[in-house]
Amino acid sequence: MKKVSMFIPCTVDIMLPEIGEQTFCLLERVGVSPIYHEEQTCCGQPALNAGYVDEARKSAKHFIEVFGDDDAVVSPSGSCLHTAKYRYPELLSDEPVWLRRAEELSSRLFELSQYIVDVLGVEDVGASFEGTITYHESCHILRGLGISEQPKKLINAVNGAEFIPLNNADKCCGFGGEFAKDYPDISEAMVNDKVQNFIASGADLLVLCEPGCLLNINGYLSRNHPGKRALHIATLLADTGREVRS
Amino acid sequence: MNIQTEQFVEVARREMADLTSRAFLQLLPPVIAAMRKAGMATFPDPDAANEYSRAIRAEVVARLPELLEEFEANATARGATVIWARDAKEANDFILNLALERGIKYVTKGKSMVSEELGTNDVLIRNGIEAFETDLGEFIAQQLHRPPFHIVGPAVNVSVQEVCDLFMEKAGMEEPTTDPVELGYAARLYLRDKFHHLEMGITGVNMAVAETGSIINVENEGNIRLTKSSPRIQVSVMSIEKVVPNMEDAMHVLRLLCRNCTGQSISSYVSIDTGPKKDDEIDGPEELYIVIVDNGRSDLYGDVKAREALRCIRCGACLNHCPVYATIGGYPYGWAYSGPMGQVLNPLLLGLERTQDLYRACTLCGACKEVCPSGIDHPSMFLYYRSKDVKGDGELKGKKRDWKEVSIFKLFTLASTLPWFWNMGIRLLRPLYNRNAENGVVTHMSGPFEGWFRTRNLPAIPSKTFHERWKNIREKRSS
Repeated sequence: MKKVSMFIPCTVDIMLPEIGEQTFCLLERVGVSPIYHEEQTCCGQPALNAGYVDEARKSAKHFIEVFGDDDAVVSPSGSCLHTAKYRYPELLSDEPVWLRRAEELSSRLFELSQYIVDVLGVEDVGASFEGTITYHESCHILRGLGISEQPKKLINAVNGAEFIPLNNADKCCGFGGEFAKDYPDISEAMVNDKVQNFIASGADLLVLCEPGCLLNINGYLSRNHPGKRALHIATLLADTGREVRS
Repeated sequence: MNIQTEQFVEVARREMADLTSRAFLQLLPPVIAAMRKAGMATFPDPDAANEYSRAIRAEVVARLPELLEEFEANATARGATVIWARDAKEANDFILNLALERGIKYVTKGKSMVSEELGTNDVLIRNGIEAFETDLGEFIAQQLHRPPFHIVGPAVNVSVQEVCDLFMEKAGMEEPTTDPVELGYAARLYLRDKFHHLEMGITGVNMAVAETGSIINVENEGNIRLTKSSPRIQVSVMSIEKVVPNMEDAMHVLRLLCRNCTGQSISSYVSIDTGPKKDDEIDGPEELYIVIVDNGRSDLYGDVKAREALRCIRCGACLNHCPVYATIGGYPYGWAYSGPMGQVLNPLLLGLERTQDLYRACTLCGACKEVCPSGIDHPSMFLYYRSKDVKGDGELKGKKRDWKEVSIFKLFTLASTLPWFWNMGIRLLRPLYNRNAENGVVTHMSGPFEGWFRTRNLPAIPSKTFHERWKNIREKRSS
């Protein structure tokens, strides 16, 4: 059986561990054997985004040490993957040996939906959901990694589900890591726009592929619109055959 | 104009509370974005067209010194006088002294962002020379004493009723109206008169063609053409990055500039002027001065990353696609340049310390980078500025962060390289973070995350991380 290494970002590991389990289940279901390196930690994105490049470089090297020998690394997050895939080579541009390792690893890093659809060629993972689903195009998934059709194909193949387009689906939800902490008013206005569009779509569920957006949108929904919920795509697809929590 | 980049958060809060402004911002960016999209679709291959203009702008920045010298030589050969201004004072002094020497009472101005950067109007007015903005939007902004809201549409946020009131009061309009055509006509009557007796005009420059010494201006109102052609003395002010190698390149950048600005294939007026009026010509200025403004740009030319900012052609596409700009509008950025292009340019010109919020108030969503016809990678520029700021970089005037933040990131990073320490850290953090949790949800917290919790919850940290759950999964699998 094909082995694939899971990169479980710290947001998922700490705050949303069930998404890690669902990623595992989903990968097993589509016929690969997931492995998990217990030495994995944080990719360094928070430090990098805050301007601490020397620190981020250390985290990057640790990441490369941990995942460097894997044939394929799959992650249920776009921004962390984007960091490893595209920011590491920039960070390590002055260190030729590390740069080469970063570049080699870069081509073997995949986002979860991308891996299932593009690499494994699977769209129907046997999931079912009775209701309507809309999709939020997370910035680092869409513009960072160029992934948009893959998750939609997976959603469209869910038995019983009807896909509904989301107005301004590609507009940022206002998370941005430190941005949400440092500029909470602006961030709130942005997440409110996103949530209003979700509600206006009439969809039962808002599905996305990015844990950061999930914490932001669900954090806002749970406070202001308790009946509504966003789901990570792994949750939607792995919780097959039974009612998805909503 | 006053530089207010330090008041970003305050002004943003005020602007967000302004419901008219919010409603307008909900409306405008999607409309302009759709116009741009339709405009770009008229290219046989929009991506290739974009790549071509990005390549031109990259070449301009790489060859900037020689292109500027080539431009100076060719413009001078065609009879223009080229003035190099190291900073705002040198540029303004030149313009003011020229006006005083020639006994000029007033000037008309075509919309010029670099003159906003220099504060030229203030200097002229302080010295008794009236300066009439002749671009309709700029005229409205000037009369209302407001900074530009948008680099392309300086007063695009001003309501038509407000414009009516303003024109009744200051532009000699006799009957109130909210009809855009009649308002435009009133402004025209008022401003056209200024052109009749005009002695000196001041405009900006969209492109300066090195190979021919020509100056190109792009507009939709005709006021720049009048400002360039009616008076005896014409002053064109440009920042150093406005130069392009040759006319072919200029024409291609023009195609991208118009489509990105307004979705037009070409603007209503494009003026290409090479030197002052010649003996056998019937119009044009007798004296043409081209002021090339540095104002701190060449200091950063040695910084290959920072100088990417000089690729910008001021099309405004990044503003129209920025979700933060669409939330707060143009005023919080506090200077001539707003939105992502301002967030890239202002920190270089003003220093990183006083522009903290400009390069931090960004989610790194990349919408600006995606549309930029000049190939600027805004998010990566912001990361660069943040890194320089953290180090207190002297060149870019970084500030350094407070010791608490530095310690947190150092500790966090150390943990990220030592898995046992990382996992121990999570175990220690959990009860601390969860102390306010109820039914698995955290609804309030003091400290740096207080703002988040004003309107949002977060899940409590579950009793086991994925890392801890993995042990069960592994055991189940092996049994």
